[in-house]
Amino acid sequence: MLRVLNPNAEVLNKSAALHMNINAAKGLQDVLKTNLGPKGTIKMLVGGAGDIKLTKDGNTLLKEMQIQNPTAIMIARTAVAQDDISGDGTTSTVIFIGELMKQSERYIDEGMHPRVLVDGFEIAKRATLQFLEKFKTPVVMGDEPDKEILKMVARTTLRTKLYEALADQLTDIVTNAVLCIRKPEEAIDLFMVEIMHMRHKFDVDTRLVEGLVLDHGSRHPDMKRRAENCHILTCNVSLEYDKSEINAGFFYSNAEQREAMIAAERRQVDERVQKIIDLKNKVCSGKDNNFVVINQKGIDPPSLDLLARAGIIALRRAKRRNMERLILACGGEAVNSVDDLTPDCLGWAGLVYEHVLGEEKYTFVENVRNPHSCTILIKGPNDHTIAQIKDAVRDGLRAVKNTIEDESVVLGAGAFEVAARQHLINEVKKTVEGRAQLGVVAFADALLVVPKTLAENSGLDKQDVIIALTGEHDRGNVVGLSQHTGEPIDPQMEGIFDNYSVKRQILNSGPVIASQLLLVDEVIRAGRNMRKPT
Amino acid sequence: MTEIVTIQVGGFANFVGSHFWNIQDELLGLAADPYADPVFRNQNLNMDVLYRTGETPQGIVSYTPRLVSVDLQGSLGSMSSRGTLYNETSPGPSYVTTWAGNISTHASGPHRKNLFLESLYEEERESLTVMNGINGRENNSRREIHDEDKVESLENGVQFWTDFSKVHYHPQSLYELSGLWTDVQEFDNYGIGKDAFSGGRGEEMSERLRFFAEECDYMQGFQFFVDDSGGFSAVAADFLESIADEYTKTPVLLYAVRGPVSHTNLRSQKQTVFRDIHDAVSFSRLSSFCKLIVPVGLPLLSRSKAATFLSVKDEEPYHCSAVYAASLHAITLPFRLEHLGPTADSCNISGSMDVSGVVQMLTGQARQNMVSILDVAMPAPPLTGKQVEQTLLRNLQPLTPDITEDVEDLQAVESISVQGSFGSPGHRASVSEVNDMVEAAYENATSRPKFCHLSVSQCPLPIPLPFPSIFGSHVGQHGELLDSPIISSRSRGSLDVHSIPMAARLRSSSAVLPFLENRLVKLRRYGIERGASGAQLLSSWGFGQDELQDMGESLSKMVSALDPHSHTSSDSD
Ligand SMILES: Nc1ncnc2c1ncn2[C@@H]1O[C@H](COP(=O)(O)OP(=O)(O)OP(=O)(O)O)[C@@H](O)[C@H]1O
Ligand SMILES: [Mg+2]
Repeated sequence: MLRVLNPNAEVLNKSAALHMNINAAKGLQDVLKTNLGPKGTIKMLVGGAGDIKLTKDGNTLLKEMQIQNPTAIMIARTAVAQDDISGDGTTSTVIFIGELMKQSERYIDEGMHPRVLVDGFEIAKRATLQFLEKFKTPVVMGDEPDKEILKMVARTTLRTKLYEALADQLTDIVTNAVLCIRKPEEAIDLFMVEIMHMRHKFDVDTRLVEGLVLDHGSRHPDMKRRAENCHILTCNVSLEYDKSEINAGFFYSNAEQREAMIAAERRQVDERVQKIIDLKNKVCSGKDNNFVVINQKGIDPPSLDLLARAGIIALRRAKRRNMERLILACGGEAVNSVDDLTPDCLGWAGLVYEHVLGEEKYTFVENVRNPHSCTILIKGPNDHTIAQIKDAVRDGLRAVKNTIEDESVVLGAGAFEVAARQHLINEVKKTVEGRAQLGVVAFADALLVVPKTLAENSGLDKQDVIIALTGEHDRGNVVGLSQHTGEPIDPQMEGIFDNYSVKRQILNSGPVIASQLLLVDEVIRAGRNMRKPT
Repeated sequence: MTEIVTIQVGGFANFVGSHFWNIQDELLGLAADPYADPVFRNQNLNMDVLYRTGETPQGIVSYTPRLVSVDLQGSLGSMSSRGTLYNETSPGPSYVTTWAGNISTHASGPHRKNLFLESLYEEERESLTVMNGINGRENNSRREIHDEDKVESLENGVQFWTDFSKVHYHPQSLYELSGLWTDVQEFDNYGIGKDAFSGGRGEEMSERLRFFAEECDYMQGFQFFVDDSGGFSAVAADFLESIADEYTKTPVLLYAVRGPVSHTNLRSQKQTVFRDIHDAVSFSRLSSFCKLIVPVGLPLLSRSKAATFLSVKDEEPYHCSAVYAASLHAITLPFRLEHLGPTADSCNISGSMDVSGVVQMLTGQARQNMVSILDVAMPAPPLTGKQVEQTLLRNLQPLTPDITEDVEDLQAVESISVQGSFGSPGHRASVSEVNDMVEAAYENATSRPKFCHLSVSQCPLPIPLPFPSIFGSHVGQHGELLDSPIISSRSRGSLDVHSIPMAARLRSSSAVLPFLENRLVKLRRYGIERGASGAQLLSSWGFGQDELQDMGESLSKMVSALDPHSHTSSDSD
């Protein structure tokens, strides 16, 4: 009896676990699929205390959702990794995994072993990646990248997150921002684009500042709030009197010694300040120039006083990262000591001014020469709007950077998915022996989830759309779907382009996770200590 | 030197913090209340040390804690992460300006406010209505909430630290670690928290800290509360490391606080080992990035000597955190006593000293011992009567775990704070009386520390309404110790006891040796020795052998500084 019962129990467990995985994947797909594309739904999440989050992208939504099902957590992690690596395509990843599971379910219910499907996935994945190499559109990125193509990629992605007018405005901003920080022969460091935000009624006042915006101001009432023709000293030097040295001995020394020590310590700080003032006098004397100190360390009131009296504007406790950005924006070098100050250390900005908004202060360092760092200043009426625009700006910046680094793009609006699917069915399938063929077919059909969902979100009939697209494709045309009519369109003409590296990443990670979830043995073992699925 | 910036990291640390700020808020309220006891009106406490003045978007002046609090997502209960003051005039929640297409709204069930929070909210609304000159008629229909019911609602159901908070926080203050949810993960060991600081979260925390630090003209130090019983230990260690980098000379005073629950629930041998490894690593890492560390939190607070006059429920974080918060409040006294010129009338206070002074005093001297013990007398005994000299010192009992009780240490250094203690019945002892008393107490004591600093204030600890009912039957309305107990069916809380005198002490003493040796031994046994059973676990937490060796060495240095003949410190080879 036992010998008969046990294997049965095993099978039962296995299939139950498998279906649990399939359901979880489908469930997550359901949650995210309405997000996809320019006609997707934006989600407003209201927390238990009334906090609002707005999100149109898969990544943010997954982070804000409290997922408890272990399978769903696994899929979500893959999608978040997708975002870390390539900056986009999280929604597509989740719905692709869901669809791979859904397509597999049909075959498994007919008694097919998951292993066979997984073998088919592997073949299909390799073939699709090869096909992507042929399908992609190369873009030459010489010294002067093709700005039009960069803008088209940025616009495609931004229009999936923001209404058109705002998306189009940001398209120019993110493209120019990346071109500003780009240096020939060097990897693009997006951190050199500062993203700053400000409460303001109108989101269309968002703009690119060629230069830097700091989120603090000077701390002395007599310092100028606006200055032109400014020398900029970027430094990381403590201009604070430090008492700890004195305390070290104070239980043993008498009051006079203590006073003397305090005075000596103060003198040291004053000397440091004086060196800065000397440099200022050297470069500014007889000219109509100004002098601004931006310090990563603190500056105490007596030091501020001395600086103010010398006509210097001084900011303290600047962000660490701004030290680097300031140099790239204004020139000069960041100094860690004031001992060997020379005019060569100084950068330059045509205009420095302060903007006050309630208790918040901003300092603009603008009109710089030949900047390699810049600031995107986002404006929005409230925190959740600002946060959502910020997410979109990040996506846009990544899209431009990817395009430059990939030196290629991929036609969007479902064009690649339709073409790859037809390639698998018409060409690859027949080269595969045995039942693994069915795995290839499942994979191919799963690819169609992208155009199908785009159609669905546009309120169109997905079957009609797929028939129209595949028909047009088989007549030899590259086609995507029109978000308005569902008719086949040429994405190239419409300027709808996706990132090559994003597509490749989706194709790589989707099948890996789906395979893991299908080979359920491993999941049972891995899932043993996990909480009950909900 | 003036400003202190406070940082709270982790569940229990925020419970302690919540009480701490309630106490400050109570002091602020009493200072402005013309009907309050005069001792509260002339506190000579400089609240600007802990608070900042700001302005809301509506142009109203605000006064909020200079605080960064870090916790899991979902840990704020019914409080918005933006706090309560800077509320934006939002144009209605379903208004989306950035998207022309479909919108779907997903609201998680709102957290119900408990009776206490409800009444706070009502009060606020009422004062607004009065300000606007509207005489709300609906006021009549408003349900009158009795204080007894508020207190009871807290006694029966505090889930989040925000449930009993009456403080307005600045929108930069409350940070939830995004993506780490309160009830999904078990965030209960160093390894789980090791990556939580990276990936944008650490940067966000540092930026918030910078917001408060940039405003400070003369920052005297950071006061850092960490719940180091789980993953937050790693978060705090990484945060401390970045602080040490950025604010090189500013001293950090670290309180590692633990609730009693974190000591229990060890079902198996394996879990015990796990816990031991965590404790050793946590302490090593945290102590390497601060100037002074004070471990706080007893496994069984209710049965400890420190709780002689209290009746605490160990399983209630709301209870235990109140005792620790009251003690830490007392300890911060010297940092914010106003500096009085020599001519000023100084009959209310004495003994002001800044953070770096206290840190230097306790950790400097010959031994350089950076671990201090926290002792408390809650309430502090009156300074009269028979053998009064002994009672104060005897009543000061440790809140630091794993220490030796009676130890004679001639090298010990102490900093004592005494607040609002009584002289003769009904009279607050004067500052000079307290000074004399303490001096006399040490004269007569069997063992005396090498050095002791005393801070005195006549202002006792006020008991805010949202304070747990933890007072025993011998504690009177003003915290006086009664000869005969009050017979009552329920434990005594904020409605019965309005204030208490407090004494607390930071003590640098060799009594802390068992605490250190314990961690050193465990680190060696499970991490460093050949074939150590925890080596694999530790490497999965990101610790290589070299790093473990270094940790072992610095722990052993701490031990041998306190006990040059120690066996534990020398058997490393
Ligand atoms: N104008 C358009 N018409 C049709 N399809 C479009 C258009 N613009 C973009 N798409 C398609 O929308 C898809 C991208 O949608 P979306 O950006 O919402 O999701 P995602 O990139 O997968 O995930 P994420 O949420 O991370 O951005 C791509 O397949 C892209 O080709
Ligand atoms: Mg996208």
